Amino acid sequence: MPNLKVLGPLLLALLAAVPIGAALWAMGAQMLHATAWQALWADPQIGRAWGMTLWTGLASTALAWITVAHVLTSGFIRQQLGRWLLHLPALLATPHAAMAIGLVLWLSPSGWALRLVSPGLTGFDAPPPWFTTQDPWGLGLILALWLKEVPFLLWVAATQMQREDLRRRWQAEYALAQTLGRTPAQAFAQIIWPQLASRLRWPLLAVLAYGLTVVDMALIIGPASPPTLAVLTWQWLSDADLLTQAQGVAAAGWLTGTVLVAGVVTAWLVGAASSRRMRGYGQRLMLAWAAHLPKPSFVVGWSPNVVWTLILSTYIAVWFALTVGSVSGVWPFPQVWPELWTLSAWQQVASSAHTVWTTLGLGVASASVCLLWSVAWLELAPRRWQQALQPWFLLPLVLPSVLWVVGLYSLALHTRLEGQWLGLSLAHAVMVLPYVVLALVPAYQAVDPRQAALVASLGQGRWVYLWRVKWPLLQRAIASAWAVGFAVSVAQYLPTLYVGAGRFATVTTEAVTLAAGAQRSLMSAYAALQMLLPIAAFALAAWLGRPRRFEKIAPMKATP
Amino acid sequence: MTDTPPDGLDHGMKDGMNDGLHVHIERLGSAHYALVSGLRLDVPPGEILTLMGPSGCGKSSVLASIAGTLTSVSEGLLPLQLQGTVQLNGRELSHLPTHQRGVGLVFQDALLFPHMTVAENLLFAVPVNDVRGTKASTAQRQARVQQALQEAELSGMGERDPSTLSGGQRARVALMRALLAEPQALLLDEPFSKLDAALRAQLRPWVFAHVRERRIPVVLVTHDAQDVADAQRVLHLRATEESPSHV
Repeated sequence: MPNLKVLGPLLLALLAAVPIGAALWAMGAQMLHATAWQALWADPQIGRAWGMTLWTGLASTALAWITVAHVLTSGFIRQQLGRWLLHLPALLATPHAAMAIGLVLWLSPSGWALRLVSPGLTGFDAPPPWFTTQDPWGLGLILALWLKEVPFLLWVAATQMQREDLRRRWQAEYALAQTLGRTPAQAFAQIIWPQLASRLRWPLLAVLAYGLTVVDMALIIGPASPPTLAVLTWQWLSDADLLTQAQGVAAAGWLTGTVLVAGVVTAWLVGAASSRRMRGYGQRLMLAWAAHLPKPSFVVGWSPNVVWTLILSTYIAVWFALTVGSVSGVWPFPQVWPELWTLSAWQQVASSAHTVWTTLGLGVASASVCLLWSVAWLELAPRRWQQALQPWFLLPLVLPSVLWVVGLYSLALHTRLEGQWLGLSLAHAVMVLPYVVLALVPAYQAVDPRQAALVASLGQGRWVYLWRVKWPLLQRAIASAWAVGFAVSVAQYLPTLYVGAGRFATVTTEAVTLAAGAQRSLMSAYAALQMLLPIAAFALAAWLGRPRRFEKIAPMKATP
Repeated sequence: MTDTPPDGLDHGMKDGMNDGLHVHIERLGSAHYALVSGLRLDVPPGEILTLMGPSGCGKSSVLASIAGTLTSVSEGLLPLQLQGTVQLNGRELSHLPTHQRGVGLVFQDALLFPHMTVAENLLFAVPVNDVRGTKASTAQRQARVQQALQEAELSGMGERDPSTLSGGQRARVALMRALLAEPQALLLDEPFSKLDAALRAQLRPWVFAHVRERRIPVVLVTHDAQDVADAQRVLHLRATEESPSHV
C-alpha cells in the first residue's frame, strides 16, 4: 500500500510541476529553429530594443531596491513602518496597466500636468509635440515600474518583519547591536538588513524579471521606436507570418537568457552586499568600486516620509485621473476640467458586462485553486520538499511572460484547451500560483510548532488543530493570499490574449487595447475597473481576515 | 485488556492500573549522535520528578519523547528518534500519536490561543466525552470551565482577551487548560522560567498543589534550584564528551 504521507504531496507536486514543466518543454522545443535566430539577429531594431530593455529594467529595479532599503531603514528605526504599511493593500491593488494609463492621463502632452499650467505659464493653446509619455529614453516606463515595484517589495518585506518570531528576534538583535556601540542606522544596516535582504532575493528577482519583460505597461507608457524587446517580441508573436512568429519565439528565448544572466548577477550582488561571505577577489573588487561611486544622494538623502508621501500622492493622483477621465466627455485643451460630464463610458462598460464576469470568474477560479493547492502543499509536504521545489513553482514569476505564453499556448493546443475557459483559467493559475505561495509561506513559517504539540496534548486530533487553531490564526494571511492571487489574475494580459485565442475579453485586455486609441473616457473606465476589482478583493480579504474583537474590559490591576 | 472509551482516550485508572509513568530511553538522538542514552524514569502517581541539567543536554527532548512531539520540536533540525519504551498506567505509548497518549504539556510560554477568549481556551481542553464515554452537555462543560476559572483565581475574566492577562494569570490558565483535558501524566517544560522571582515563588506552590491533587505523575524540567525544593525527586542529566549528553 503506497504511503499516504508521501502520495499526497507527490500528487500535489506533480499537479503544479507538470504544467510548468510542459510549458517550459514546449517553449524550449520551439526555440530550435536556426532561421528564426538568423532573422532575429538580422533585424535592425534588435540592438536598440535590447539596450532599452536593459536600461528600463535595470534602472527601475535598482531605484526600487534603493528606495525600499531607505524606507525600511528609516521606518524600522523610527518605528513608523506599521503606519506606512497601512496603505499597502490599496497600492498593491492598483494594476500595472491602470498605473500606466493614469500616468499617461497626467503626463501626456494633453495631460493634466500641462493643463494646470497652460496657457498661463506655458502659453500653450494646443498640446505641444512633446514625448512626455512613450518617451524615447524610457523614463516614463521607469517611473511607472518604480511606482509599482516599491509597494510590492515593501509588502514582501512587511510579511517578514511582521512575523512575530522574526520581529522579536530582530528587535533584540537591533538593541544588542546598539549596546555594542553601533548607531541605530549601523545596527540596522549591519544586523537586520543583511538578514532581510537575503529573504527579499526572490521577490527582487521577480521585480527584475518583470521590469525586463513587461509588455502591457510598456505598450502604454514605454518607448515606441524602438519599443522594448518584450513589446517587439509580442508584436512578432502576434504576426500572421510564421517566420516572424518564430523570430518572436527566438526573441523570447533571448529575453529569457537576459533575465537569467541579470538575475544571477543581481542575486550574487545582493548576496555579496548582504552577507558576510564576501569571499573572492572579484566580489571585493566590485564592492570596493561600488563604495567609491557617488551616492545617489537625491534619493538617499530624502526623508523616507517625503519619498513615501510622493509615492502615495502619485497613486492618489492616478486614481483621481482615472475617475475623472472615466466620466469626462468633451474636454478641449487647455481646460483643467471637462466641458461635459457623462456616464456614457460606464454605460458602455455595463452593456458589455460579460467582460467583467469573465474577469471575475477567472480571478476567483484561479486564486481559489491556487490557494487550495498552496494550503494543501504547505500542510502536507515535508519542509525539505517545500524548500527543494519552491524555486520550480516560482519560475513563472521570474521567466518572461512572453515566453510563458508561448509554452502555455502550445500546451493548450496539445490538450485542446486553447480558447477554452478551462484552459485560460489554468493558464491564469500558473501565473497566479507563485504569488499565492510567496504570500502564504512566511505566515506558515511563523506558526509556532509547539501549538500543534500543545493541541495534541489536550487530546485533540490534527483536524481540530487545523480548523480551530491554525487556520483561524492564519485567516488573515490566507485571505490576503487569495486577494493577491485575484489581483494578479485580473492584471493578466498576455495569457488572456494568447491562451484565450482572442475569444475572452477582460477589463485588462480592454484597457490596454483602448490605451492605443483615442477613447479616453472608456479607457479610463476600464482602467478604473481594473483597479476597483482588486481593491474590492483586498477589502473582502481585510474583512474576512479581521482580528477578533474581544469584549472591552476596563484595565484591571494585574494580580500574579 | 482495558476498555477504550469512544473518545479514543484510555483514561486508565478505572481498571485499577494506575502505576504511573515509566520511561526507558535506550537511545534518543539522530542518526549521527545520541542526545540521551541509558535513561530510566519511574514516576509514581502524585510524584513530581524534576529533571535538571545544562542547556542542550536533552531535557526538553526527553519530555517530547514522552509526549510524542519529537517531530514538532525537531522541525528544521535533524529528526530525533527514540529507542526505548514509554509506559503510562500500564499502557505502552511510544507508538501512539500525541493526542491519544493522555499526556498534558505546559511550556514556558503559556501559548494561549490568541483568537479565543480565556474561557474558550479552557473550554477547548474539556473533553467532549466523560470517563464513561457519555457525551457531556455544553452546560456541564461550561460549568467545568467556570470551576477552573475559580481555581485559577480568575473568576469573571472568562471573556477576556488572553493578551490582557498578566504573566502569572496566563501561566495559571495554561496549567488549568492542561489539567482540564484530564491527562494521566503532566509534563512541565520550564513553566516558571519567564516569570520574575516573586511571581515564581507565589505560583510554584499553587501549581504543585493542583497537580498533586490530581494524583498524576508529573515531570518538571527546570534550571531553577528553587523549584527543586518543592519537588520530591531530582534527576540530573549531564553532557559528556562523546555525545552532547547522557544521564
